[in-house]
Amino acid sequence: MSFVANLLLATVRMAIPLLFIAMGELYSERAGMVNIGLEGLAAIGSLVGFLVSFVTGNNWIGILCGALAAIAVNMIYAFATIQLCANHTVYGMAMNIFAPALASFIYRVYFGKGSDLSQIQLMKGIAIPGLKDIPFLGDLLFNQTPMVYIAFLLVIFTVIFFKSTRAGLNYKAVGENPKAAATLGIDVIKTKYLACVICGALAGIGGAYLTTCYSNTYTEGNIAGRGFIALAAVIFGRWSGGGILIACLFFGFCDALQIRLQVASIGIPYQFFQMIPYLATVLALSIIGGRKLGPKASGKPYRKEER
Amino acid sequence: MKKALALMLTVSMTALAFPAFTQAEAKDYKIAMICDSSINDGGWGAACYNAMVAAAEENSWTFEVTDSIAQNEYYESIVSYCSLGYDIIYAPGNQYTDAVLQAAEEYPDVAFALLNGAATTPDEAVNGNVTSLLPNAQQIGWIAGALAGLMTKTNTIAFIGGMELDTTLGKYQGYAEAAKYVAEQDGREVSVLDPVYAGSFDASDKGIEFAKAMMDNGADVFFGDASAVDSGARQAIDEANKAAGEIKVFDIAQPADILGQNECIICSQVTDNSAMISLCMKGVEEGTFGGETIYGTLQNGGLSAGAISDLVPAEVQDQYKEYLQQMMDEKFMA
Repeated sequence: MSFVANLLLATVRMAIPLLFIAMGELYSERAGMVNIGLEGLAAIGSLVGFLVSFVTGNNWIGILCGALAAIAVNMIYAFATIQLCANHTVYGMAMNIFAPALASFIYRVYFGKGSDLSQIQLMKGIAIPGLKDIPFLGDLLFNQTPMVYIAFLLVIFTVIFFKSTRAGLNYKAVGENPKAAATLGIDVIKTKYLACVICGALAGIGGAYLTTCYSNTYTEGNIAGRGFIALAAVIFGRWSGGGILIACLFFGFCDALQIRLQVASIGIPYQFFQMIPYLATVLALSIIGGRKLGPKASGKPYRKEER
Repeated sequence: MKKALALMLTVSMTALAFPAFTQAEAKDYKIAMICDSSINDGGWGAACYNAMVAAAEENSWTFEVTDSIAQNEYYESIVSYCSLGYDIIYAPGNQYTDAVLQAAEEYPDVAFALLNGAATTPDEAVNGNVTSLLPNAQQIGWIAGALAGLMTKTNTIAFIGGMELDTTLGKYQGYAEAAKYVAEQDGREVSVLDPVYAGSFDASDKGIEFAKAMMDNGADVFFGDASAVDSGARQAIDEANKAAGEIKVFDIAQPADILGQNECIICSQVTDNSAMISLCMKGVEEGTFGGETIYGTLQNGGLSAGAISDLVPAEVQDQYKEYLQQMMDEKFMA
């Protein structure tokens, strides 16, 4: 296969976990919940996904449990910010400190302080007959694990949901003007909790994807900043499903490119290539992030009794 | 009455003195290890941890470990153990040098064993309580490189690093020169891809991507110095071999013998860190620890090649063993 085809395949592999996590943030922010604790949610999802897959031998149960674990952890953030009107940033950061530590603790409790490398069977890919033989695009789009197809379908669903459904518009109204939404009979509190459930689930799935579909081992720190890059992807993607897909593919492409360029041995110091993803993030945010396009009530506490 | 009191006093004083005496005789020596990678990474962290455990069990020491620590936690982790009364702090990596030297200055009664520390590091410790354990990086590279040069069919081999440390570069250079040398003896020319760095020892996903990219560039034998990143690379190699229906891309592991952990592993470069840690423990017990560099070489048994897989043909195994003997006799590439 050519350099370009391999590069694009690597791009998709590296973009999918980002995409799940970023979509979680989109659902959160669309209801006015700025959750910067994605790194922590993905970390607990990654550990639980791996652990359950290891015990049961079933990746699907692992991913489901990873999502449930991240939802459970995210309920702390939800309760503090929705019920107690606490600061979103503070509790998001608390999640980033608490959840990875909890994941480490659970790992140590289960596996003990041993040095054995625990490995699992990764989820198998499914090639779509006929379509997988399309030159160039076949392997890229139609010869992947089911989670990749689910990620792409999620984007399509999200675009339709927010643009063309009454439920989606009601949901967005909570993030734009919760008081106005309440006067229309929308249950703001319930919607915000629902957003936290969806955000926890998707961030947990993003983490679990890493240990059930990508790498067959679990290592502490395996999220490696993806939670923060996902935040940037939401801004870069202008809070839309399609935009976020492009942003995640762009960040995945930059990371895949730096790896391929390091390997290409073209005489430029490797540090230069390692800068590419970070440079791209800064550039993208400085170009796109200048204009405020996000939900207007993002991060603001909602108090029913306030006028 | 007086006699009875004197007898009671004598008995009670003996009872009090005896435990104190036995306590002084059987001091409970303790060693603690810090590590930025995980101890179950299937590579560097696991090997270093197992070496400490083996040495501790051999010398009846108790041990503790803190792993997966970030760079800003090196110093704090070390001094935490120092303040808990640990006798040796075992820091397996060149990257801990600054933190070790700082802590060694503040805790003159604690011994610090720095694996892969520079030969000059013990002289920099003002209290003389630091010892460098220094496996010969060039020989480590030779052990892997000679086999890589013999086994490559595409005449392209690869090396993956975690961070650009002096020891990592030394291993890469030894690996490259040995592979080229043995191939030249067979009338072939081997190309070694430039070393790549994941920027971390935990990023197994980067290992997967590096290995895939390097295989795309023709590499068919891998060696690395990158902990969990190496585990990721082996996963990608195993997947590629499975897809090809035969094992034609190989990996050489280090620093413990982990033949069988992955199908692609054909041999391991083994570093006997346990023996070097044991020497440190004996030094502490005898009060002679510090201010020296303990070298690990092929000649003193500190370095060796592990078991060789059946994937390596018998004639290649014989050739490889000949090269190893040349290294032992200091005649390799001479």
